[in-house]
Amino acid sequence: MTTLKLSDVSYRYDKSSKNVLNNVNMEFESGKIYTIVGKSGAGKTTLLSVLSSLARPTGGEILLNGENVADIDRYKFRSKYVGVIFQSYNLLSHLNAVENVVLSMDISGKKFDRPKKEIAFELLEKVGLDASEAKRRVLKLSGGQQQRVAIARALSYDPDIILADEPTGNLDGETQDEIIKIFRMLADEGKCVIIVTHSPEVASASDVTYELKKS
Amino acid sequence: MYIIKNAVKSITRNKLRNILIGIIVLIISLSACVSLSIRQASEAAKEDTLNSLNVTAQISFDRRKAMDKMKDEASSQSSDNSEGKSMDRGKFDFDVLQGSSLTLDDYMKYTKALGDGDGYYYSGAFSLNATGDLLPYGTSEDSDSSSDSDNSEKNKSDNSDMPGFPGGEMPQMGGMGDGAGAPEFGPPSRINKGDFTVTGYSSYDAMLSMFGEDGSYTVSDGKMFDESSDALECIISDELATYNNLSVGDKIELSNPSAEKETYKLKIVGIYKNTDSSSQENNRFMSNDPANNIYMNYAAFSKILAKSEKADNKTTDSNGNERSAVLSENLAFTYTFKDVDSYNSFSNKVYDLGLSDDYKVSSSDIQAYENSLAPLKTLSTTAMWFFFIVLGVGGAILITLNIFNLRERKYEVGALTAIGMKKSKVAAQFVTEILIVTFTALIIGASVGAVMSVPVTNTLLSNQIESSQSSSDKINENFGFKPDAQSRPNMPQIGERGTRGDRGAAVKYVDSVSSATNLMVILELALVGLFLTLIASLAALISIMRYEPLKILSNRS
Repeated sequence: MTTLKLSDVSYRYDKSSKNVLNNVNMEFESGKIYTIVGKSGAGKTTLLSVLSSLARPTGGEILLNGENVADIDRYKFRSKYVGVIFQSYNLLSHLNAVENVVLSMDISGKKFDRPKKEIAFELLEKVGLDASEAKRRVLKLSGGQQQRVAIARALSYDPDIILADEPTGNLDGETQDEIIKIFRMLADEGKCVIIVTHSPEVASASDVTYELKKS
Repeated sequence: MYIIKNAVKSITRNKLRNILIGIIVLIISLSACVSLSIRQASEAAKEDTLNSLNVTAQISFDRRKAMDKMKDEASSQSSDNSEGKSMDRGKFDFDVLQGSSLTLDDYMKYTKALGDGDGYYYSGAFSLNATGDLLPYGTSEDSDSSSDSDNSEKNKSDNSDMPGFPGGEMPQMGGMGDGAGAPEFGPPSRINKGDFTVTGYSSYDAMLSMFGEDGSYTVSDGKMFDESSDALECIISDELATYNNLSVGDKIELSNPSAEKETYKLKIVGIYKNTDSSSQENNRFMSNDPANNIYMNYAAFSKILAKSEKADNKTTDSNGNERSAVLSENLAFTYTFKDVDSYNSFSNKVYDLGLSDDYKVSSSDIQAYENSLAPLKTLSTTAMWFFFIVLGVGGAILITLNIFNLRERKYEVGALTAIGMKKSKVAAQFVTEILIVTFTALIIGASVGAVMSVPVTNTLLSNQIESSQSSSDKINENFGFKPDAQSRPNMPQIGERGTRGDRGAAVKYVDSVSSATNLMVILELALVGLFLTLIASLAALISIMRYEPLKILSNRS
């Protein structure tokens, strides 16, 4: 079982500014969906950046199975241990959906028992994209489809933790439900799913909800 | 591996951007290939010409140096003379300016400085007068068949009228003035000007400029004199033979111009023909006319000299002073070298053997060689400047393009690093992209450049030569000479070999190259490619290493 623990985590963007996160204590376990809610400016996205090692906490520590994340190479951490689904997807526009997924697998450096492309097609199918859509350049896909590609990419190297920033923010209600279903499926498979959201629907679908307040 | 795969995908899916970079690199590589090929061709031509060069050298008195020394001494002696450089004519010491003639023994001493495969030859010349019915070519019996003594008297007068040049006008070395590699005379010594110039050669090698492959002389009747014999045998010109009704086997009697009773009988063993019309001009003196050149072996020649010395005749000049009438030779000694290195080694060693630094070792062949390469060298220098300018400007354009390119791809850097790709790997991918585009363009540019380099080099070279020649012809036209070299016998032209023997002969420039692009040029182009990649990716590398994914992504959001 994987546990991710935040212990008195604080963060500020520069020395002269106020803390965006102030002594945050949270604990995440595998097999559950966690949502982090809060008003705009409460530091939800900052918390996600800190969780994904895009930013280092200026105070406190984050422990992955008891090991301080600060001791793990931040690129290795992002490419192996966590799968991040960004609000704006951050897909590579010159690649198609499959290639985006395969690239993540390449970057992770992990060994796979089957061809990466085959796994990528399967993952895309799992998140609701057929083969022809999978071969399309990402810019030619809709917002919902791009979100699915981002989810497939985050899953491609089989990380234990999935971090998602407003994964349904740009989607219609129907697509939002489908995405929530995918997250539930992942949690059921034993992943720890952490979602930053404004959406009450998403929050209600989660197992645990943390609320961030402006510090 | 995925870095290369990703780089290739990025190139193929951003065609326009990469084609633009490719075109710039193509222009740079094309220009670089042609420029480097021109330089390579120049080097190759230099090497080829150098390998085929027969280097000959002479030791001669450095009159310019002596003149400078004399000027310095004059200015230091007259402290009142503030102008320094000017000098009274009375202070010219012609004896010093002539230098002392090196003797055959001196020249032979310096042969110790020669290396394996080097050699030497020499020749001597003096003037003799006709006796009896024999007439030099160019005179008529009516006007010039005055007695030999008249001739002698006239010559005596000539000799005495020229201070410092008791022999009067120095006779030309029988026709050798028009051939390459002609031996250079030493400083003028006591020469008696007569009807004929008699030249003695140490070996047939010394006569190669006349009778060799490039010479204009052939023995048309009889045979060449024996190289190893000291018998008084000679060869004469067909014009002289016809004029005096002489044939092979006849004997001619010649006399010392300053002592008519001192006579020498030479047997004609051969008659030669000279087909070079230019050498027959400018014969103000009979002994200067190539038709009046008599050639013989140096051993026989020195026998005449010895006899003259033994006779020890005297003559009286116009001032009533008694002077020696002994024949004196004008010696020309030539050292031959297997290559330029041997020549350079000789030039240094010879001073260790005691040669005064008032003398200099010079080679007209090397001068001619350098002159022949002048247009190619100029072209090579221009090409290299062009190369550096293109490289500099092209490099600056590439840097600028890549900076803009990177700004455009900033998000891509952010996205890649956000999903865990290390910055160094992102940088490696960007460099790989530039490397692939650069080298593809470089290969195309080098291929086109390799095909173009020879015709382009030859076209530019011919323009360069044409420019040099038209400039030279313009000067000659201004002086009233025809562009034809033969019409301006004593007028050195631009780019002309400066030796006495080569006046009137145009420089034979290296006017074409056969190959230009070789392995060295390819390697240099590869270096150019690496250099362009390096400078083009430098901006990318610096920027990527400074980027923070969070900043990039939050800016985008």
